[in-house]
Amino acid sequence: MSEHKKILEYDVLVVGGGIAGGECALNLANLGFRVLLVEKDLTIGGKMIMLSKVFPTLDCSACITTPKVSEIARHPNITIFTGSEAKKVTKLAEHNFEAVVVKQPRYVNVEDCTGCQLCEEACPVSVTDQYQYGLVGRKAAYIPFSIASPRAAAIDIENCTLCGACERVCPTNCIDFTQTEEEYLVKVRSVVVATGFNLFDPLKIPRYGYGKFKNVITSMQMERQLAPTRPFNTILRPGDGKMPDNIAYVLCTGSRDKSVGNPICSQVCCMYSIKQAQLLMGALPMADVTIYYLHIRAFGKGFNEFYAQAQGMGVEFVKGKIGKITEKDNGNLILRYEDIEEGKVKEAEHDMVVLSVGLLANPEISSSFTNQKLELDPFNFVQQTDMLANPAKTSIDGVFVAGTASAPMDIPDSILSGGAASAQTISYLKQAMEK
Amino acid sequence: MARINPGFTKELKSFGAFDVNACYNCGNCTAVCSLSDEDNSFPRKMVRLSVLGLDGELKTSLEPWLCYYCGECSTTCPRQAEPGELMMSLRRWLTAQYDWTGLSGLLYRSLTAVITAFLLLAAGVIWFASVQNFNPESLLHTGHYFEMLAIACVFAFILLPNIIRMWLLTVYSRHKKIPVKRYFSSLGELFVHMFTQKRTLGCDDSKTRWIEHLILVISYLALLFTTVFLDWFGTDNGFIIALGYIESAAIFVVTILFVAARLKKSTEVSKHSHPSDWMFVVWLSLMGLTAFVVRLFIDLNMLENNIWIYIVHLIILVQWALIIVPFGKWTHFLYRSFAMWFLKVVE
Repeated sequence: MSEHKKILEYDVLVVGGGIAGGECALNLANLGFRVLLVEKDLTIGGKMIMLSKVFPTLDCSACITTPKVSEIARHPNITIFTGSEAKKVTKLAEHNFEAVVVKQPRYVNVEDCTGCQLCEEACPVSVTDQYQYGLVGRKAAYIPFSIASPRAAAIDIENCTLCGACERVCPTNCIDFTQTEEEYLVKVRSVVVATGFNLFDPLKIPRYGYGKFKNVITSMQMERQLAPTRPFNTILRPGDGKMPDNIAYVLCTGSRDKSVGNPICSQVCCMYSIKQAQLLMGALPMADVTIYYLHIRAFGKGFNEFYAQAQGMGVEFVKGKIGKITEKDNGNLILRYEDIEEGKVKEAEHDMVVLSVGLLANPEISSSFTNQKLELDPFNFVQQTDMLANPAKTSIDGVFVAGTASAPMDIPDSILSGGAASAQTISYLKQAMEK
Repeated sequence: MARINPGFTKELKSFGAFDVNACYNCGNCTAVCSLSDEDNSFPRKMVRLSVLGLDGELKTSLEPWLCYYCGECSTTCPRQAEPGELMMSLRRWLTAQYDWTGLSGLLYRSLTAVITAFLLLAAGVIWFASVQNFNPESLLHTGHYFEMLAIACVFAFILLPNIIRMWLLTVYSRHKKIPVKRYFSSLGELFVHMFTQKRTLGCDDSKTRWIEHLILVISYLALLFTTVFLDWFGTDNGFIIALGYIESAAIFVVTILFVAARLKKSTEVSKHSHPSDWMFVVWLSLMGLTAFVVRLFIDLNMLENNIWIYIVHLIILVQWALIIVPFGKWTHFLYRSFAMWFLKVVE
């Protein structure tokens, strides 16, 4: 720990720079409040910026996110800390919070970096690209992805060999290996928790063969293959790079499943799978797409019509949970299931399988609160203590929750939730001003 | 028209089932089951029939006997509805349905009834021994005759009528016209499954379970033969004596392994133990142990002064032969193999 912490003062600390945290920060900033937006990742935009299109309108996800992200990035009332975490949040009194924010070194001066990518070319180290969900590789000196914000390089110090090649080619000399961890003491009057969710890890269901069978991928990997900034510029199966023509979706992978400890519905898997199926029909006009489901939950505005549209386009819907997946020599996969409508066990062959993984809580933040407890619900999401009347209220007065930190939800609901959190934060701050 | 029994799930619970109503019909259990196929779909179909209370349909089903309980369905059930344990409970319930005396159902459901019956039989044996003045020779003699008589009577009056009832329910009620020739041509199925339990090998879990079970079945049948027909306790033939020792020791060792697994709850199949499961494996173990010790005492000329050990053995034998064999878990030995035969017949 550094001896002399830098002291900063803001009105609101927003933890998490995804679409909900971003929306909340933007609303607060537009009304004149000074916001510190703390993001653990190297870029803001959260998971939404990685997506292809959104349901049920099929709007381009990045086209909605990027303008919003630029607005957040350039707002005079918003300060963004990427690669940073809120470690200790202490409530000293009403409207008086203190947080220790730890910023990890990026080894690049973001202000000077032009995003020219020369360091990327020079770097000799190749590792798996986490932003493309393992589909391709990246360098140890890298820009997270093309529409990242800030679009600046970073050094992955764990994989870096310290050869100095990037430093030598950098035209602005912005690479700085002397950077160290920085600690800030932040004084704020209110806190918003918008820490989002974690995706279910399908390695926990070994009978689906994820990680063992190369042509079994997650829905997020498919999302990347469908996105405008996609790595292959087409749809390929990872096993042998063939274009798939018979794709299966396995719904409820890690959702509504007590055996993996997540008994609740993830709310989005049915719809994003239906969306991906429609996009696949466009990308691979000859391909067959089959969705194996338990129940299709198309509950939102325009959702059922979207489902009907997929049926109309020829997407196969089969009721039955996939029991197990086995691999053939040619990399194709055999899915065993019970066709519920017929009551018979069946086996189907597909050349690519997409596991529609669920949304899990990301409860890490709750341990950062020191003197008061940020309560979690039975599924480890942040407890909404007055869900109907005050949806953003948590167990600590002055700490609000936004987006999927409180429950699985889709993008429109996350943005609504971010809006609600900003409104409730403002009303909390106004109480202090009137006193 | 189907008749619905609204209280059926409650009834089934008294045979050990869990919350079958938790099932949301995803079919995962059937899909992971390596014994389920296009023609014989289970366990979900059985769960569904149970939830709906279609006990008439269940009574005529052979499916519960086709499951050899690897437990994969229970471990992976997304609702933790324990389909494997439901299949087990259905087997207990079916055993009670086949039994014309009704005692099976009573003993499965009431532990008090079982303990009372066990105590009464124990008291009867002790009373009988006292009438015989605890004379070793006459006790061993009657013990031997009791075994033969018990086997004959239990088979003639309980097991045979029950198997006929099973046939009436599962075969005759559904398929009236089956040529007699078919019964003979598929008879092999009965014996193959009775003596090998080879269907267990279809389960995904290890082969160890099958080997252990096979050793147990073979040793049990062999010991029965050795004591009843070769008069193990009375013989002077060294080969027969040694054979009996090996068989009883094998029974004891394998059942101890089963007891240990049930205590540790290490596998899905050993996780849930109904009193009838404990009774079966513990009494079998005690049978092996006491038989071994009795013969040992005879060989060491110690039985004369320690006749109590034979009385203990006789008590266990009587309880086994009059309760567990006709009304308890022992019957699965018959019903499972007959189910395989009947299945072949109706195919």
